[in-house]
Amino acid sequence: DSRSTSLQHKSALFSCVTGQKQKHCHENWSLSPEEFEIWDRLYRIKESDGVKEPILPQTRFETLENLEEVPKHKEEAIHELSLSEWRIWQNRPFPTSMVNHSDRCYHFIGIMEMIELMRHEQGDCSYELEIQPHLHLEDVNVQRNKRRLSMTSST
Amino acid sequence: QRLKAAVHYTVGCLCQDVAEDKDVQFSKQTIAAISEITFRQCETFAKDLEMFARHAKRSTVTTEDVKLLARRSSSLLKYITQKSEEIASSNMEQKEKKKKKSNAAKERRTSGEQEAAATESEDSNMA
Repeated sequence: DSRSTSLQHKSALFSCVTGQKQKHCHENWSLSPEEFEIWDRLYRIKESDGVKEPILPQTRFETLENLEEVPKHKEEAIHELSLSEWRIWQNRPFPTSMVNHSDRCYHFIGIMEMIELMRHEQGDCSYELEIQPHLHLEDVNVQRNKRRLSMTSST
Repeated sequence: QRLKAAVHYTVGCLCQDVAEDKDVQFSKQTIAAISEITFRQCETFAKDLEMFARHAKRSTVTTEDVKLLARRSSSLLKYITQKSEEIASSNMEQKEKKKKKSNAAKERRTSGEQEAAATESEDSNMA
């Protein structure tokens, strides 16, 4: 039922472009011939456009074996959307329209700001200095790494 | 602050392991950033786990909820599922032979948060 309303919503959106007449074509999940024509003419990326097809980067785990490995694309023809090339912009919230920033997003912004503040630090780390006095050794698993312990306790 | 310190320490240890393994170095600032990310990620995890459990009309978070956290990557999900099965089977063993000493609970080392397994250990051998 919610599906049909969303379908109606979509066709209502589309009727702005195409006019009202062929509403029955929207019963299908696929594009109607008219819609296909519009997509093909206005939105579809073709070789003559001289722009690369946008793709999203795939998840990869450095420390696990990777199951989903399908890099079939030829590097030249695609534009992999980058999530990091504009990182220096990301220490403040970007404008929103209808969807607010999530807590997770604010955490991300907070971290980016923290990284920005630490960027020019040399040697000693302000975060470490601030937090070290609060370390209680009973909170952590000491046996695991003895070398590190001697390192941190010497600072 | 105390929790952050424990996370920071543990992250430092883990990074040290990776550093030796991969022959790279982490700056202190990098370790600090990873700690803060981990700390904040725990908040996200906690809220999600609570919601997942509530969605299943439970008030106790179970391993099924934890698996949902890992759903976005099939590799990660596989890994977590394996770990969860290991834990489950070692729990079974423990129940069967209660008299035997339990050293099976050691497996739970995923996010490395507040695992208070503090045993004052004989430090001298490794140094």
